[in-house]
Amino acid sequence: MVRGFRSFHPIILLLYYLFAMAALMLYQHPMFLALATVAILLMNFMLDGGLELRKWRAMILIMAVLTLVLTPFFNQRGNHLLFYLFEKQVYLEAIWQGVMISLTLVCILTLFLTFNLVITPDKFVFLFSKIMPQWALLTMLSLRFVPLLRKRLLEIGDVQSIKGFSLKTGSVKGRAQSGMLFLQTLLTWSLEESIQTADSMTARGYGLGKRSKYQPYYMKKRDWLAFAFLLVSGSLVLFGWWLGDGVLTLLPVLEPVWLSGREWLYWILFFMMIGFPIWTEGKEMVKWKFLRRIG
Amino acid sequence: MARQKPILIGISVLILVLLVGFPLLNTEHYLALSLLIMASSFFPFMISFAKKKVLSRELVVIAILAAIAAVSRVPFASIPSVQPTTFVIIISAIVLGPQSGFVVGTLAAIVSNLFLGQGPWTPWQMYAWGMIGLTAGLLGKTWIMQTRLGRCLFGFIVGIAFGWIMNLWVVISMIQELNWPAIITYYSTSLYFDLAHGISNVFFLWIFGSSWIKIIQRFKVKYGLFGTEG
Repeated sequence: MVRGFRSFHPIILLLYYLFAMAALMLYQHPMFLALATVAILLMNFMLDGGLELRKWRAMILIMAVLTLVLTPFFNQRGNHLLFYLFEKQVYLEAIWQGVMISLTLVCILTLFLTFNLVITPDKFVFLFSKIMPQWALLTMLSLRFVPLLRKRLLEIGDVQSIKGFSLKTGSVKGRAQSGMLFLQTLLTWSLEESIQTADSMTARGYGLGKRSKYQPYYMKKRDWLAFAFLLVSGSLVLFGWWLGDGVLTLLPVLEPVWLSGREWLYWILFFMMIGFPIWTEGKEMVKWKFLRRIG
Repeated sequence: MARQKPILIGISVLILVLLVGFPLLNTEHYLALSLLIMASSFFPFMISFAKKKVLSRELVVIAILAAIAAVSRVPFASIPSVQPTTFVIIISAIVLGPQSGFVVGTLAAIVSNLFLGQGPWTPWQMYAWGMIGLTAGLLGKTWIMQTRLGRCLFGFIVGIAFGWIMNLWVVISMIQELNWPAIITYYSTSLYFDLAHGISNVFFLWIFGSSWIKIIQRFKVKYGLFGTEG
């Protein structure tokens, strides 16, 4: 049985991701974004031990460093002139902006890594079927064909390699040409086969009446609790943004980066909301450790 | 009436966009405006297909074509930045018409991302490929799509445009104010990939365009599918 964060109703999970994305886009403040980065990285480790993270590490790092370096280069507005680089002024404000943009980027990309772990294709199609059933059906059909077509492609490749067409060796043009030839074979083969699938659908009554749905997810009590938590913390976080507590003012006067007063309150609230998966996932971990010690 | 309804909806959406868009244009919120235009040009087609009654055969054929477009990356894994997904979408759209082209394009993006991992780029990919399918379908009867040269030209332009649309998500999430030097630098870093996409489209369309069109056309006639759309 799936426990922890992943076991919530897909709509709750989607809601969390919507709120988290909005919060990351709106809260442009290094202190807030640094906290979010830590929280989301922790989330990644809790969900799959950082496996996905390791796969994407290089791409995310390159993008982050690139923006970090390039932003001060293009942003030429500010009051605190630090130094000149290639006859361009580099401002403190621009450096902070670079930090914020690259942290936002890291947060969004790593958040999407957890999204792929949490919103598995079945949940995705379930969510889709709520809004557009026809699209969901189509997606499901197409999803099912992908592994089948892959298998067929391998088969075609095996046969063609005997005839001397290869994808591994030869010039780029030659490889592209034989790749396309494989696809063409796949096209003719699969189109003919598809008619059979369709006729079998018709035989089972597709299009006769309203389609019924298999509903594997129900809102339980804990889903409603999570819903309330997200709604309350989410609106408080939005309110904090509206007050301007989560945004670092760059111009006309650079605000001190270290937080003060009420901003700490929203800092904690922001952490509570972004870290929602950490609380739910962590609870399970603590329980597991605790129960094992008793046993 | 059935033909007029989409047109009426289109006009009302257009008026709405203009009403909301004008103040945005005035206050130089170009990014917000472009997002608005994208959303309003995308969702009507999503919804109109969701409401349409489709034959099971047509449904499965669309699903197969989108799946082929999605897996078509596999045989080309050894050649970097060459993949015929766009080619498959263009060809399907030429034969099956604008709406089916749009659906194949959008669906190919959804399906390939479900396998490779969703990201902030998913909606942009859906939009870009959906619109490529739509325009290819709309131009399907004109000389652009009926001659080999026209198709290649279209494929090249669309290959570059695809990259430009895909760059937008980074631009929107990173660049707060419109800053031309930054945007141009960013776009020039992707130019190599965009060019590769455009050129490989031309290559595929030049060599395989006619034969693929013939295959799908023959199939369409044989089973009498997508009759009304041409």
